[in-house]
Amino acid sequence: MRDLHVLRGRVWLFGDNVDTDQIIPGRYLTILDYSEMARHAMEPLRPDFASEVRRGDIILAGRDFGSGSSREEAPMVLRELGISCVIAETFSRIFFRNAINVGLPAFALHYSAPLVAEGAELEVHPEKGYAVVVETGEPLEFEPLPPFLMGLLRAGGAVEKFVADGGMDWEAIEEGTD
Amino acid sequence: MAEKVLESHVVRGTVRPGKFIVARVDRLMVHEVLGSRVIPLLDRMGVTRVWDPEDIVVVNDHWAPAPDIRSAVIHRRNRQFVSEHGIPHFFDVGKGICHQVLPEAGLARPGELIVGCDSHTNTYGAFNAFATGLAATDSAVIIATGKCWFRVPESIRVEIEGEFPEMVTSKDLILRVIGELGTDGANYMAVEFHGGLVDRMSVASRMTTCNMSVEAGAKTAMMGVNDAVREWLKRRAPGADWDAVEPDEDAEYYRVMRIDLSEEELGPMVAGPYLPTNVRPVSVYEGIRIDQAFLGSCTNGRLEDIALAAQVMEGHRVHRSVRFIVTPASREVYLEALRAGYIEALTEAGAVVTNPTCGACVGGHLGVLAGNEVCISTSNRNFRGRMGDRESQVYLASPATVAASAVTGKITDPRSVV
Ligand code: SF4
Repeated sequence: MRDLHVLRGRVWLFGDNVDTDQIIPGRYLTILDYSEMARHAMEPLRPDFASEVRRGDIILAGRDFGSGSSREEAPMVLRELGISCVIAETFSRIFFRNAINVGLPAFALHYSAPLVAEGAELEVHPEKGYAVVVETGEPLEFEPLPPFLMGLLRAGGAVEKFVADGGMDWEAIEEGTD
Repeated sequence: MAEKVLESHVVRGTVRPGKFIVARVDRLMVHEVLGSRVIPLLDRMGVTRVWDPEDIVVVNDHWAPAPDIRSAVIHRRNRQFVSEHGIPHFFDVGKGICHQVLPEAGLARPGELIVGCDSHTNTYGAFNAFATGLAATDSAVIIATGKCWFRVPESIRVEIEGEFPEMVTSKDLILRVIGELGTDGANYMAVEFHGGLVDRMSVASRMTTCNMSVEAGAKTAMMGVNDAVREWLKRRAPGADWDAVEPDEDAEYYRVMRIDLSEEELGPMVAGPYLPTNVRPVSVYEGIRIDQAFLGSCTNGRLEDIALAAQVMEGHRVHRSVRFIVTPASREVYLEALRAGYIEALTEAGAVVTNPTCGACVGGHLGVLAGNEVCISTSNRNFRGRMGDRESQVYLASPATVAASAVTGKITDPRSVV
């Protein structure tokens, strides 16, 4: 079980419309080994990203993060590199879905993100629905995820949850929703 | 409409926009992602039996035939999986692009809930199905259980009236629509297309329209059943019983958009790099020199697209500094185009006609771009690096505009060539 009370890490800033072809270009999709594939993460946008990123780092992005292809490899390579969570103004639907499914926490602000310096330390409280820039105390607020999705994240993704529970516990979807 | 399909498939939860539900799916489409990603997940989950072999469709189409060893291995894994589990609907290399071959086989029907591990699964909305894309983990869970979680989408209604002017197609129309919506204008939502023009549209044009709705973020796109679809289903899914869904009179919409082509003058539209929603009238980009023109993909690789290109090319040759690549969407399309003489005409005019595959669209093979090269393409995405080098540039347009540009060597309004 992953502890999702507090996540802490350095911020990598990305702008609007980071599509999945930027996160992992199509031509690398036939690489079967994720650690090898992850070396090409964000290559078109930030060729230094994969080599510079540290475990625990956080991505802070603008609108519509992860648009485009349905490739699950996009959140997978970020998870593989140790990104602890992605915070974006909004997410593209499929990326959000895939992120949760593979156990990469993704939180949508639904407003314009405040200015945060690249490399700033961020403390994220997934269950409470906010993050703060450690140095300045600047808050970022988001809607906490429904319990069913948090359950998938804590397990490390839908597959891990399936393995742990010996099948899919679909009933949990109604918990905590009215 | 979308809610109605979910309503008839829900197993847990309340079907209301914004709510999370669990629903059973009628069909799952998986392509190379099965071999590369899903099978390892199924192994990890200990799944040895699939939920229903009849309802899983497997296609080898993205890198077909295999351009390298890695894709060959993935294709072989898919073949093994299909024979191990007795999956009858398997479309191997050469049959065509998933979103074309499923409908051809009568496997996209009204009122169905279809999911595919590919974002352009929205295409089947042309047949009144609720069809949406997801990925490997979802596919693995569906293969095991036949069910999937969904967030119930809000709906956007797009009303389209009037007729297409000469050399203007459903591609120009959908580019115009997503240009207005923006990349996330329909994020998470179901887009419904209604109106006289949609009723009169060919099956192919309907597919083009639904296909590109995902570029505005749409979870699904749906159209009512028209005569062309009824005809199609009679021929391709004889005996299948289906129930069409229609919106309620008092259905609520997040947004309503009205387009009347008898009032608004729609011309050829082009999406510039690096966003499919970066749409302008062709005149804005006219004159930009191109290195490659690509006609193909699940957006515009069908017979009417190839016919239109052949019509534009008539009496012309492909410009000497342009590679004009034509990739039919399926073997059926290829054969029809062959019989109609289009393949011969295009080849004689200097085009390269390839086998059916995703090919250049995904930057996989058969037309990959070098740095700084410019391509005009009938496909659906022009993200940085999509069709090759990160410094290459892709403009998206209709088959007519692509063919006209192939003739002149620069982005060209097809009305000035014909
Ligand atoms: S043709 Fe292009 S967009 Fe369509 S399924 Fe293939 S790769 Fe995807």
